[in-house]
Amino acid sequence: MTQVPKVIGFICDWSVDLKPLSDGGRLRELPNVRVVQVPCSGFVRPDWLEEALNRGADGVFVTGCPYGDCLNREGNFLMRDRIDQLQRRLQRRKVDTARIGMLAFGLHDGAAFLAEVKAFVDRIAVLPPAQPARTAGRPAVAQPAGTPEGERT
Amino acid sequence: MSTVVERQTPGRYARLMTTLLRETLRLDVWVNRLYPTDFNPLYYTGGLSNLFLFTLVLSGIFLFFYYDASLGEAFASVQYITDRVPYGGIVRGVHRYAADGFIVAILLHLLRNWFTDRHLFARDNPWISGMFLLLFGGFIGFTGYQLVWDERAQLLTSMFVAMLRSIPAFGATLTRLFIGGLGISDGTLVRILFLHIGPATALYAFLWWHYVRLRHPKIWPPGVWVLFCVGLVFLLAGVVPMTRETIPAAAPAAHPTSFPMDVFFLIPFWLLNFLPAGVVVLLLVALFVGGLAIPYASRRETPVEMGVRHSGVAQVIDGNCTGCELCYYDCPYNAIVMVPSPGPGLSKAAANRSLLAVVIESRCVECGICIGACPFEALELPKFLERDVLRQVAEALRPGSGQAVRA
Repeated sequence: MTQVPKVIGFICDWSVDLKPLSDGGRLRELPNVRVVQVPCSGFVRPDWLEEALNRGADGVFVTGCPYGDCLNREGNFLMRDRIDQLQRRLQRRKVDTARIGMLAFGLHDGAAFLAEVKAFVDRIAVLPPAQPARTAGRPAVAQPAGTPEGERT
Repeated sequence: MSTVVERQTPGRYARLMTTLLRETLRLDVWVNRLYPTDFNPLYYTGGLSNLFLFTLVLSGIFLFFYYDASLGEAFASVQYITDRVPYGGIVRGVHRYAADGFIVAILLHLLRNWFTDRHLFARDNPWISGMFLLLFGGFIGFTGYQLVWDERAQLLTSMFVAMLRSIPAFGATLTRLFIGGLGISDGTLVRILFLHIGPATALYAFLWWHYVRLRHPKIWPPGVWVLFCVGLVFLLAGVVPMTRETIPAAAPAAHPTSFPMDVFFLIPFWLLNFLPAGVVVLLLVALFVGGLAIPYASRRETPVEMGVRHSGVAQVIDGNCTGCELCYYDCPYNAIVMVPSPGPGLSKAAANRSLLAVVIESRCVECGICIGACPFEALELPKFLERDVLRQVAEALRPGSGQAVRA
């Protein structure tokens, strides 16, 4: 892959301090990483991660507070579970699970956060390019994660 | 912190609280280097308090069976527990040191939740019940020292009576109620025993209030911390036994003037060295009322003043709600209830619903966890819609927007 992968990160307001790290919605050190700030990592709907991949992002990740210290008590744990489910679901569609990540960093963990994001981007960069324009269509999210692939719309 | 709304010149209190928040989280970074985040004891101060309380209740029940609440027998029965009952001295030590641990844990819990803003807006119920837990906890510690009925207890009682008397209008009545008559008698110790155990029972009522708005409260710390804390308490009870303080029994003729200090429970009595009793009472009342007012009286009362995102209370989109209960299970504050559906929804998935989600506005902290839980697009934060998020995503992925840098 010759191109720097496009990555979108959903970042909780209360987790890592973005002020010194970001500039106009992207990380200063990794301009290919765009950030969307959300009120809590648990706010992110797994659909949106899928949507971002469908629209051409090479990877998406969510950043919450350290596990055990979510401002809203459970947001990061819930998000971790939802991302696990999403990874299992997308794996059956031959999407590499490395493209979706869950990170957990506190206010002062800026350096560790950047290192982790870099590692995430590097993991994606070596993947073969994703099939462009997967037939979008809203995923049949109503179905439980165990539903066989054939029954999906 | 996000600065969705730029605040204008924050007050001194706001700046102080921001500093405290940052320093608290900086401390976490250090602790997290020692322990994985799952075991960071500062994330489990509430669970640790509950663990110490549980230890106190169990050891207290043991002690209760041997204690004799009368002036002549109280001290002797405590001596009997310490010297003659198998492991009695250890259990007494456990009761004492677990109480110290309890106070330390609840103070850490209070400060941490204060500094990290976890007491504000819809989350004031745990704060208010927590202030009552602190008040009752401190009072139980004080009556515990009296139950031993040594010279310290005698002096504490007279100091406490002096504090009660200094209360205008009700002082004499309160004193009579407390000591059970005009002078100290057997009835006094019975009352003190009740005032030790009664409020301890009330702690569980306040704990119910403390937990009632929380789904899945972290009631216990991780297993290793349970073992560590219980082990530490037992170790202290064995290594530093209770007999090291040899305070003679209380006697009507004795007029003690000093006693070994305990920094965990007896600070108000230490203040009596410098201040008149009335002032100490006033100080305690002011501390308690001030504590109750903390979530409301500060200048950073609104999210806008605090400079944090204000997304609005989550709203259910009636037509899309299928009554699947996913948001109900995930809401960390029990702010979503399921009610019988008044009619079918509009979308295909919602056509056969029997339940409808309803957000209780006074409990909602606007975190948006229910939005992430809902796969049917039936919940929205009014000031941060799904549309806004997807627009940001689309903008980020527009060809050419992120492509300035190439490998």
